[in-house]
Formats: sequence, structure tokens, C-alpha cells
Amino acid sequence: MEYMIEVKGLKKRYGDRMAVDGVSFSVKKGEIFGILGPNGAGKTTTLEMMETLRTIDGGSVTIDGIDVKSNPRAIKYLIGVQPQTPAFQDKSRLTEVIELFAAAYGERVDAMAFLRDVDLEDKAKSYVENLSGGQKQRLSITTALVHGPKVFFLDEPTTGLDPQARRHLWELIEKVRDKGISVIMTTHYMDEAEMLCDRIAVMDNGKIVAIDTPKNLIKQLLQRGFKKEQEVEQANLEDVFIDLTGKDLREDV
Amino acid sequence: MRFSIKKQLLTVWMFFIINTKRFFRDRLAIFFSIGFPLIFLFVFGGLNSGGGDISFNVALINQSQSDFAGQFETQLKDSDIVSVNEEVTTIDDARDRMSRSELDATIVLPDTFGALTETGPTGNAQVIFTQNNAQSGAALTSILDQQFAAINSEFVDTSVPFTVTSEQLNERSLSAFDYAFAGLLGFAIIGMGIFGPMNVFPELKKMGILRRLSTTPLRVWQYFLATMMGQAVIGIIGIAIMFIVAIAVFNLEMVGNWFELGLFIVLGITMILGIGLALGGWAKNERQVAPLGNIIVFPMLFLSGTFFPRFLMPEWVQGISTYLPLTPVIDGIRLITTEGRHLIEILPQLGLIGIWMVVIYIIAFRVFRWE
Repeated sequence: MEYMIEVKGLKKRYGDRMAVDGVSFSVKKGEIFGILGPNGAGKTTTLEMMETLRTIDGGSVTIDGIDVKSNPRAIKYLIGVQPQTPAFQDKSRLTEVIELFAAAYGERVDAMAFLRDVDLEDKAKSYVENLSGGQKQRLSITTALVHGPKVFFLDEPTTGLDPQARRHLWELIEKVRDKGISVIMTTHYMDEAEMLCDRIAVMDNGKIVAIDTPKNLIKQLLQRGFKKEQEVEQANLEDVFIDLTGKDLREDV
Repeated sequence: MRFSIKKQLLTVWMFFIINTKRFFRDRLAIFFSIGFPLIFLFVFGGLNSGGGDISFNVALINQSQSDFAGQFETQLKDSDIVSVNEEVTTIDDARDRMSRSELDATIVLPDTFGALTETGPTGNAQVIFTQNNAQSGAALTSILDQQFAAINSEFVDTSVPFTVTSEQLNERSLSAFDYAFAGLLGFAIIGMGIFGPMNVFPELKKMGILRRLSTTPLRVWQYFLATMMGQAVIGIIGIAIMFIVAIAVFNLEMVGNWFELGLFIVLGITMILGIGLALGGWAKNERQVAPLGNIIVFPMLFLSGTFFPRFLMPEWVQGISTYLPLTPVIDGIRLITTEGRHLIEILPQLGLIGIWMVVIYIIAFRVFRWE
């Protein structure tokens, strides 16, 4: 099967308003698929329906050939979910968080191996409340992968992180993709979408207004005669920042 | 394979182990579930202890120089019934202290007390008390009266035609503390079983922790069962500590079977925990759950015999409170602890707990939401 995920005419109604209004797209195995859009466009609702968190009012989602609406329990074994703001219960050690999530799937795992994947092995015995924001994001990513999912959802994963932590997270997400996992993420950062996503869907008012690779989307815009007022520089301020401060992570306090 | 029972129980076991470890790392949680009821135990235990033997605080003003008065003074100071305040030496001081109820009464031995006559020593001791302490004064007077009667009979040979003798039965009746203790355990169980999840669950929802868990195959029953096991362990430890203190400090006499008591308490905790799970599982936030929680908890605290015995309440209140969930728990603990009843003899309590357990858990599963 070519597509890992197929979404067809997906709909969600809140009162009179169609939060998601006939959304269709497909995601390949081992690709990073970005969903962009202003707040209230229906990105999160779309993700939540795919994640079995919200009931599907219309249309269908199939993941690995399994229908989400009719078989949500089977879907839960196939997906990993990274929430917008990862939170863990205080006084849990990192290893315990991983063991706990593995246990939710009825599995026992080598917690250290999963911590190593996200460079947190030296924090293994710390309590979660002593982690920085970026470290929590990384822990959350690895907990979402304990059961070997085929699809990985991330909702605005880099919001609030410093440039170093963001870059590190991008690398981790690419590593996940390279394992053959399909990654679906939302973001408000266009540079992030451009650098990270293989394909992008742009949503507005509950509908998808464009789907393509970032390059093609830019090309199409230029073909319509779009010109930036300012000449594009060969570098931007973020490049300057990274050049001055380096790429090393700064959270090992 | 995916849905095998063994794997599902592994989930429960790991959640139980890790959450229980977390609990014992959290000092605040330990204080509220174990320390807090202990404080109540000390307060109530302090109030109720010594309820068995009455003791009077008295001042003794000895104005007599006689040997007999001296002997009387030493005897009085050795007595268990009265405790003599030795600071007081004048009648004015004693009067002052009596008006503040610092003293129950004052015993005055006038200078003629113990003066020798032809037949032996004579004298008249005075007991002074204020209006507020009329009862203690009267009691003390009659006690002294009896003592003097015994002394008199040694000096004067008399034959007494009618006598009365009293005999104490060895059967134990409930002391005030024994009665209060079962209620205190009920209070501790409420604290652990209801206030715990009632406060924790909405917090977990706010942080999105339950929502994150709901994207995993974790089922509500697994989560509940793990919580139940954790609460049972914490509850048994907390209650064991209360028993140790009650026995060591307040002379509680536990006459029942420890194993049966433990089993009964686990049942009680499980049932009461269901109320907490229902409230916390239903509520979206703390503000929503607090009023409802209070409506359910406070009547139970007051009517189920937690702080005052149910038999002091009006009949109709007793009629209602018999059927509250906490009542059979407290009554059952009391029957096992103080009367040594076996589980088979407290079937009404067990039955009521069972019925409530079913009702409460049906509601808890129905109203639970992950976010």
C-alpha cells in the first residue's frame, strides 16, 4: 500500500459551525506531512479526529488500512501522539514515565534505550519537573514511540523553544521519519515547515486550500507573479543567531 | 495477543507500582493522607482519654497543726481521685482560681481539725465550691463523707444494720475513645478515598495528562483498578499507623481478628474511593467538583458517626444515616475492633457496602471523562 493514511471528506460540526469541512489528503509511509493554517482553521480538530480523541461526524480516516471510526482501539496501537504542551506527573523519574507509557500498551521496554534516542540518558533518574521545556518535548516524543507506532502526530512541537532546541527537535523528527514512520505535524512557523516537511497542507476555515511540497507551493506562487518587496538576502537573522551562539543545546542546567 | 489478559494486567500492575512510588516521594500527599488523620487522632484522643476515672482539681488549705490533719493531707495528695494544687495556700487565692474554674473545689481543714478529745480525734473538714462546680463539689463532699465514715468506724464501735456493696463486672464497655476511634478511621478513609482523587483528577485533566493517556489503549477499568490498589496500600499503611498510635498512646484494646479487620477496611476504602473516582472522573475542573464534593462528604462526615456517636442523634436521622455509605464502614470497624465480631457476623454491614460499591462504581464508570 502506498499511503499510510487516507483522509476522505472529513467533517466535524460544532453547533452551526463546520470546524472541519470536507478535508481530504493522504500521507505516505515515512514522510513528514505538515498542516499549516491560522488559529481556528481546524488543524487541531482534524488531528484529534485522526487520533480517536474526537468523534468523526462525516467522511473517513484510514490508517494502515484500518478505519478509525469503526476500530479506534486498533488505531491506538498504530499511532503515537505528542500533545501541544507535554505534561507529566511530578515526582516521576524519566525511566518511569517511559515504563508507564509502555505499560499502557501492555509492553515492557528498555527505558534507557528510549532515553538514549533523545539524548536524555544522563537525566534518567531525574524527576520530570526538573526538565527544561525542550527536554520535556524530547521525553514526550520518545514516550509516544515506545510501542513502535506507524504514525506519529505532533501538535506545534517547537512552540516556545529556543533556536537550538528547535533545531535539535527537527533532527529528532527527521530521525523518526527515517525509521519509516509517517509524521503528521502542525506548526505556525513557516521556516520550520519549509525545512522539515516533505509535503504541506494549508488549511483555512475548515478546508484545505493547498497541498504540495514546500518548493512547489513557492514555485506556484512565484508563477502567479508574486514579488517580495524586499530583496531576499542570502542569510536571515536566525542564521546570524545560530552562527553567533552555535548549535549546542543549552538546557543541561 | 494484543488484547491478552496478561498484558492488560501488566498495565494495571505498572500503573499501580509507579504511582505508588510517586505517592511516597510526595511529602505533601503523605501528610494529607497519613499525617492529617493522625493529628485528629491526637486531638480527639486527648479529649476523650481519662474519660473513665473522674479526677478533681482541688486546693487543700490546712490550718491545723495536728498529726491527724497531717496524715489526712498526705493521703489526699496520694489519692487518684483528687489532684491537689500545691501552689494554693490561702483561701482568697483558692477562691480566685475557683471562679476561673481552674479549681473544682477547695478543702479546708480548720485549726480545730484533728483535735484530741476523750474518745479520740475529731474535726470537721469544709468543702468549698462555686455555683459552676456544684456537681464536683457535691461529688467530692460525698467521697470525703465516705472516707470519714470509714475512719469513724475505726474509732467508734458501731454495728451497721444495712449495707450496700458494689461489684464491678469484668465485661468491657466501650470507652469514649474506643467509640471515637472507629469514627476517626472513617474520617481518614474519607480523606484518602474522596478528597484524594477529587483533587488530583481535575488537575491531571487540566495538565492534559489524562488526555494524553486516552490516546493509548489504556482502559478506564485498568486506570481505576491501579488507583484502587494504590489507595488500598496507602490506606492500610495509614490506618495501621493510626492503630499503633491508638494502642500505644490511648490504650485502645483491639479484640477482633487483624486479618478480618484488614480485609474489611480494604473493602471500605475501595467503596469510598469509588465516590472520589466518580467525582474526580466527572469534574472538568476543581471549581466544578468542590461544591458537589462538599454536599456529599459533609453530611456523611456528620451523620455517619465520624465525630459524634450516631446513637445520640434523633431517631429519624439515625434511620437515614444507617444507609449512608460511610456508616456500615465505621460500624463494621467498630464491631470488629471493640466487640471482636467476625466478618460472618457483620453481614448487614458487608451487604450494604457491597450494594453501595456496585451503585457507586456504575456511576463512576458512566461519568468518567478523560478531559
